[in-house]
Amino acid sequence: DENLPSVPKGTDDFIPTQLAAAGRFENEENLYALPYDCPTMIWMYRKDLFDKHGEKMSQDLGFDQTPSPELTWEQYYQIANWFNENQDEVPYGTGHQARQYDSLMCDFSNILWSYGGDYFHEPKVGSLGTAEPGPCTLDEQEALEAAEFYKKLLSIAHPGSVSWDWNATDEAFRTGQIAMAPNWHEFAAVDQDPAESTIVGKIGYSPLPKGPVRNANMWGGTGVGINGASPINEQKAAWLFLVWATSPDTMLMGLKSDVGGGTPTRGSLYELPEVKKAMEPPTNLPNLLTYDAVSEAWRPENIGLRPKIQSWNECDTAIYTEVSKMLAGQKTPEQAMKTAKKYFDEAQARVENLASRPSGVA
Amino acid sequence: MAATQERSSSATKGANGGGGISLETKMLVPVLALLAVLSLFPFFYIIWMSLNIVSLINGISFDFAGLANWTRMFTDEVVGAAWARAALYFVATVGLEMILGIAIALLVHELVWGKNLVLSLILLPMFMAPVIVGLLGRFLTDSSYGLYAYVLRELGIFESDILGTASSALPAVILMDVWEWTPLIVLIVLAGLASVNQYVIEAAKVDGAGYLERLRYIVAPSIAGVVIVALLVRSMDAIRYFDIITVTTNGGPGNTTKIIPIRLYETAFRFFDLGYAAAIGLGMLVFSILVANVFVRILESRGLAR
Repeated sequence: DENLPSVPKGTDDFIPTQLAAAGRFENEENLYALPYDCPTMIWMYRKDLFDKHGEKMSQDLGFDQTPSPELTWEQYYQIANWFNENQDEVPYGTGHQARQYDSLMCDFSNILWSYGGDYFHEPKVGSLGTAEPGPCTLDEQEALEAAEFYKKLLSIAHPGSVSWDWNATDEAFRTGQIAMAPNWHEFAAVDQDPAESTIVGKIGYSPLPKGPVRNANMWGGTGVGINGASPINEQKAAWLFLVWATSPDTMLMGLKSDVGGGTPTRGSLYELPEVKKAMEPPTNLPNLLTYDAVSEAWRPENIGLRPKIQSWNECDTAIYTEVSKMLAGQKTPEQAMKTAKKYFDEAQARVENLASRPSGVA
Repeated sequence: MAATQERSSSATKGANGGGGISLETKMLVPVLALLAVLSLFPFFYIIWMSLNIVSLINGISFDFAGLANWTRMFTDEVVGAAWARAALYFVATVGLEMILGIAIALLVHELVWGKNLVLSLILLPMFMAPVIVGLLGRFLTDSSYGLYAYVLRELGIFESDILGTASSALPAVILMDVWEWTPLIVLIVLAGLASVNQYVIEAAKVDGAGYLERLRYIVAPSIAGVVIVALLVRSMDAIRYFDIITVTTNGGPGNTTKIIPIRLYETAFRFFDLGYAAAIGLGMLVFSILVANVFVRILESRGLAR
């Protein structure tokens, strides 16, 4: 790293929660990767329908239904149910990415965290990650309550939810099948594209509802790192790419891309006059319409970060399989959470066991 | 792999004829050696992998674990359930394909005109990539805009999401496979039917044998060989069935469509637990060889193996 360019504006320009989650591991000292993208789950809703039925809804429901992080998941459920029973512009109130897939883990985690549950007790497991997270905590009361609520919520959701991943959920939203959904914010670009969507200009964005304990918005971002096992010249070339890919100019270019593009992971870009202006409709950068919602979601107290542990792929599969079994009626919420915990602990025990053994390189 | 070995060994036997190494065999040696390297090296490598915990961090490394992966496989309830589901899936797809395939072939065989046109139409699904069949199936069963979902809903037969409901997901993926591969059975059985001796059929007709009698005593014995070959080909395919399930249900909902190849894929390429995956893969290989042997033995007992 002698003659090579340094990161423009330094690493402090990156949004802190994202820098930690994408770039650090185990401690604050070392930085392994720079945040590249930042899809985050927020509450997307049909503003036109909320405006149209607003008065009657708040009379029927007994609270102000305008989406905000101050509403609870229980109220989200009631709003969804209201849509199911009281109007015919959309077939269902809510839709979810509840296919037996990674998307189901994302959707369920929002609720798990907001109910005060988590996968592990270790508080840094999501932001910095750890090699030894300790025993899985999915069998605790908060997690069971979250699972019970999730089952209840899905029972009134669009029945297609159980076979939808994130793409299919957004497709249902932008083709007028559902009135609202916990959805990835970068889908705003395609939802506001007249060639793809029937609801252009009719969408509102808010952070997700809160649970009894907190507000949690699943962050699905990634970072670009360099493989330390590759030859030194390639590492240098990778550094050049990394600096370029995460630079302010490149991010601005991505934001302006015709095909939607990502949203920046750097705070300074959101201060640019042209970017600020684009946060209000009419805009040519529709992803920015979500900025108020995502900037709330990215605060340390609101961001939802999945565990950074070595056995995560296996644990991820375990949790979405068990939640899927719960939704399919094969298991009670309690059975599902307890089985998931068992598989988490087994998977983690295997990798920790492996790490403690000396191994020969073939 | 079992099938290739079977074929190559019968080829060498054929070339050998009597004693001494013939010119043909000598000319075959280079390619046989290449085949042996290509199939034997990975075979022994995967056996070695199954006896180790394999890690990919900092290059591939082996950590000898004895029979740990194997004992784990025989006690792993997820893998056990996947095997049970695979068996159900195997019997259902191959069974349905055989019944439908033979029935359709018999009907097409009786056609007087338009046979080629009908046959071409029937064969179409077979020429699609399985992934495309899966995507098409997903499209047709989608609960918002899928044609099948719509028809079933309007008829009041089925209202939930087809691929998202535990009771319907497995039948749905089975039917997708049946849709794609029944034509292959039709094609093979038709070839068998074309070789049935017409004079014998004529003679039976003269003697007053009805259609069912002719089917049972003349046609069935004549086509038995090709039917078993068709069964063998489809069985080998069904054991490693992967594409359609991956793009439709990915094993869900609640693991109801997670057959053993899907679990193998997860173990190897999502969990990167390559040693354990090698053991599961070898388990599948053993099963394939057993199934193939059963069919080959039936063929041999009928004197049809050559």
